[in-house]
Amino acid sequence: MSIRLFSIITLIQGDKKEMPTPRSRQRTGRIFTGIMVGLLGLLSSLSLPAWPSDTIVVGSKNFMESRLLAEMFAQLIEARTELTVTRRLGLAGTQVCFEALRTGAIDLYPEYTGTGLVTILNEPPMHDRVSVLNHVRKEFLHRWDIWWMAPLGFENSYALALRRDRAQTLGLRTISDLVRVAPQLKAGFGYEFIQRQDGLVGLTESYGLQFQNVIGMQQTLKYQATDKGDIDLLDVYTTDGRLAVYDFVVLEDDHHFFPPYEAAALVRGKILKRHPELGNVISLLTNAVDPPRMRELNLRIQEQGELVSQVAHDALRTLDLVGDNHVRSVTIVESSDSFLPYLWSKRSDLTMRTGEHLGLSGLGLFLGILIAIPLGLILEQWRKGAETIIRIVGMLQTIPSIALLAFMIPIFGVGALPAIMALWMYSLFPILRNTYSGLRDAAPNVVETGRALGMTEWQILRAIRLPLAAPTIMAGIRTSAIWTVGTATLAAFIGAGGLGVPIVAGLQLADTNLILSGALPATVLALTVDGFLGRVEQWVRPRGLEPVR
Amino acid sequence: MASLPSRTLLSWLWGVPQQVHQDDDASSSPQRFSVTPRIKELVHMKPWAIETQHVSKQFPNGAYALRDIEWGVQEGETMALIGESGSGKTTLLRLLNRLAEPTDGIVFIQGKPACSQDPIQLRRRLGYVPQDGGLFPHWTINQNVCLVPQLLGWTPIRQLEQVTKLLPLLNLDPAQIAERYPTELSGGQRQRVAVARALAADPPIVLLDEPFGALDPLTRHDLQDQFLSLKTRLQKTMVLITHDMSEAFRLGDRITILKEGHIHQIGTPQELLHSPATPYVDSLIQHYHAHPG
Repeated sequence: MSIRLFSIITLIQGDKKEMPTPRSRQRTGRIFTGIMVGLLGLLSSLSLPAWPSDTIVVGSKNFMESRLLAEMFAQLIEARTELTVTRRLGLAGTQVCFEALRTGAIDLYPEYTGTGLVTILNEPPMHDRVSVLNHVRKEFLHRWDIWWMAPLGFENSYALALRRDRAQTLGLRTISDLVRVAPQLKAGFGYEFIQRQDGLVGLTESYGLQFQNVIGMQQTLKYQATDKGDIDLLDVYTTDGRLAVYDFVVLEDDHHFFPPYEAAALVRGKILKRHPELGNVISLLTNAVDPPRMRELNLRIQEQGELVSQVAHDALRTLDLVGDNHVRSVTIVESSDSFLPYLWSKRSDLTMRTGEHLGLSGLGLFLGILIAIPLGLILEQWRKGAETIIRIVGMLQTIPSIALLAFMIPIFGVGALPAIMALWMYSLFPILRNTYSGLRDAAPNVVETGRALGMTEWQILRAIRLPLAAPTIMAGIRTSAIWTVGTATLAAFIGAGGLGVPIVAGLQLADTNLILSGALPATVLALTVDGFLGRVEQWVRPRGLEPVR
Repeated sequence: MASLPSRTLLSWLWGVPQQVHQDDDASSSPQRFSVTPRIKELVHMKPWAIETQHVSKQFPNGAYALRDIEWGVQEGETMALIGESGSGKTTLLRLLNRLAEPTDGIVFIQGKPACSQDPIQLRRRLGYVPQDGGLFPHWTINQNVCLVPQLLGWTPIRQLEQVTKLLPLLNLDPAQIAERYPTELSGGQRQRVAVARALAADPPIVLLDEPFGALDPLTRHDLQDQFLSLKTRLQKTMVLITHDMSEAFRLGDRITILKEGHIHQIGTPQELLHSPATPYVDSLIQHYHAHPG
């Protein structure tokens, strides 16, 4: 798809290089045709992504266990079938992931039965393992032709946990014990947990809990926070490897409130029918991973900084599901290095990410310019509707980026296209606003004089309004560019790459070096782009507007 | 920045260069015409360059900017239009080059109804000087002066000749200022360039909207002198708006006094001085005697 976008751009730019003169209308016509062809190409590329039939797209959510399971599926499929695998790992949350699956942007991803019941089906929690599985199987099949494969053998439920010494001091063993001391405790809960019916909401109802203070936190940063004593109680995943490392006690759920969260692969029915071998291969993992094994695998990624692909491969080899010949040359990244050598060791990866980042934000910005400037010209002619339309475009700006990305998935799938579209929508407003007001406010007395001396409106636009508005328009483009380069880090959430990838991964691993290795280049990139566009702004400023020397 | 290679690309974008196709021959002799008998008697049968018949301009809210104006300017004469702000003098000027349309009556330009002429072509035959000069800040003096010739599709060589001929008439040295930008000139120089621009395509009629209003008194006096010598040399028909009585007396062959959309008097300075037609004109003359420019 991105190749198609590129060809549109070269098409349009190709025409722009030969600047038309006012005399040759047909050349202007050719540009117009070029743009129309480009838009048609764009439209046709908007249709749902069609993958070659022998390619399987494996997705995952943006936490490590989901990535690990997805990577295991992917390697298993690669090793045991003729199918090619495309990985779309790290999609932002259940909603995004499931939408991607439902619309066919991905073919399978690891999911938990409890999440299927509560988050996707939007039904009240149930507490029996088997009946939950049967229920989601029936409903998913019936509604969307999506299959729950056999469970992998472990549950990753929510649980409440706190440090062993603290639990002993307070005499806590079960959640019921907690009711008594909860008003003195500070809880650090994940955002998703706080919102969920089967999370904090139901929990407080079921047990009658009342905390002194609930702080929303990123899942991976919470353990460190308890070190300093800022936080007493955490929501944890029962397979989290850090439970052992930080010596945490999981409180017993004596009311059986938390629904079962059995891990299983969620697969589109169409792809199972087309490739029956896929179902057979994934079934090999049925009951293959028990909870201690899963905690150990998670720990290797979380604390020892091993690569997901390596850990997945080791896990499959232990199960005798893949052979030795599959081993890839893998270097374990030492994240405890000092920052600069660390940055240097990752230079090739970062160069690629920077390229992706520039590509995403550049395309988004380019499309923004392509739409916003002509729209600004039109609105300048049609001022009655201008403010309304500009306000509507301005409202796009206020949509939180994650939400916007989630809306995009049913239309554009996952990957670069929805990211570019989201960036495009964000880039519109500053350019549109500046184009409109720049043209509207361009030296009214000069415009009037031009008219009085017999210039046509088109000549006035081209010779007076546009050049005098150029610095203002360029300033709008500059604002958009900075914004776009900054926002493009979010592309990592829908598997579009960019410098957001190390940032997101670093957040999950609580690895400062990793976060910085994405954030620092992103900042440098933004500053560079700004500096460059500053020069362009100088250049488009008509000469007579320069201050007198 | 000027060393950047694609300056030509930009200059296309900003529309600086040339060559618009030529629809109309500006030098074709104006058609002569008939005029209403009453006014004709008054002015000894000289041909009209500009004439209005029963012209009114009504605002959407019903108020009149101009009401039933019977007015004319002879060929080669300089008509000063004087009045307070809100008197309708600017509106009258805008009716001549069709920046505004009368709600009633007809404006004749060189004998032809203005409304029957293409406004763009009409405006290219009417020179125009606004109060602040209205020079394009991003164009050089050369480009500014050549605006109308360029719109009319003159060859670059002819345009250049015109600049080198015109600027000295206004005490400007082409070698010094032709390639400079308006911000690099003084206010007086800018205003002279604006006059040169209005004259560049050799229009039969020039409209000036308080051309010297924004200048300091010394510069203004200086420019008025140059204007006078230019006027005798070129013999153009000119309409000059001013709110300064002494300027009207110095520059105008005849003077029109407007108040609240009505003409109070049209006459030579002598006629105004000796036989003011209304008390308002009389008060203006009294004031002029008390504070002569």
